[in-house]
Amino acid sequence: MSATTTSQPERVRVRKNFDQVAWTWMRYSAVLLIPLAWFHLVLQDVVVGVHKITTDYAIERMANMGWKIYDILLLGFAFAHGMNGVRQVFRDYIHNPKTFRAVSILLLIFWAVITAVGAVALLSINPAAQ
Amino acid sequence: MSYMKTTLTGYAAYRGREGHWAFLLHRITGLGVVLFLAIHIVDTSFVYFAPQLYVDVINVYRSTIFGLGEIALVFCLFFHGVNGLRIAYLDLFAPKDWTIDKTRRSMLVALGISLVLWVPSAGWMLFNLLRHNYGLFGG
Repeated sequence: MSATTTSQPERVRVRKNFDQVAWTWMRYSAVLLIPLAWFHLVLQDVVVGVHKITTDYAIERMANMGWKIYDILLLGFAFAHGMNGVRQVFRDYIHNPKTFRAVSILLLIFWAVITAVGAVALLSINPAAQ
Repeated sequence: MSYMKTTLTGYAAYRGREGHWAFLLHRITGLGVVLFLAIHIVDTSFVYFAPQLYVDVINVYRSTIFGLGEIALVFCLFFHGVNGLRIAYLDLFAPKDWTIDKTRRSMLVALGISLVLWVPSAGWMLFNLLRHNYGLFGG
């Protein structure tokens, strides 16, 4: 009883599995997403507003290198964060490991397809093409 | 399906108050944002793949129902971010404050900060919506 209270717990090094790495990235990406996503939303939806957004505005913005880098970061971090979040929600309701693995793979495919669609559009729009 | 029923009745019947609401709101706002995000990535890609369709996309965004959804989206993003910061702060810097009393208070602080950020944004978006869609305020 008395021997257990004072000494520091021993640190054990264990190789990280996928979910521990994913968890760490959820948190890092979240910190980055707060300025990225908040500023994007406040700028486009509140300051500019949907009634002033046109196709020309979108093309001009996506052709700008600074905004392109901003949008690449947002696309990469936000959707990955979101889809891993959806996976964690499924984990609460799907208790069969095989089913959960299948759902995870489907979510991964969905994430990859949507991200690829966004990335192709974003990278293809450049000032020279206009 | 029975899991879903157990879950939903559990969510409604469990009386965890603030900590429980923080969990539910974090989950609902997160799911709301990711659902919008999936749609938003695809519809924005129309700028490149189908510029003539992007005009229709913009018109959907300008509709009243979408405008109200947008106001809700802004709340979702603010709350999810503020509450996420609260969780990360408690985990990393103040794990001793993960007590029922203190998390009850910190949840209300997080909700308060989210509302302070959201109310002016929501007011401005509602003003724009009424001005453009209903011709109020000299629109």
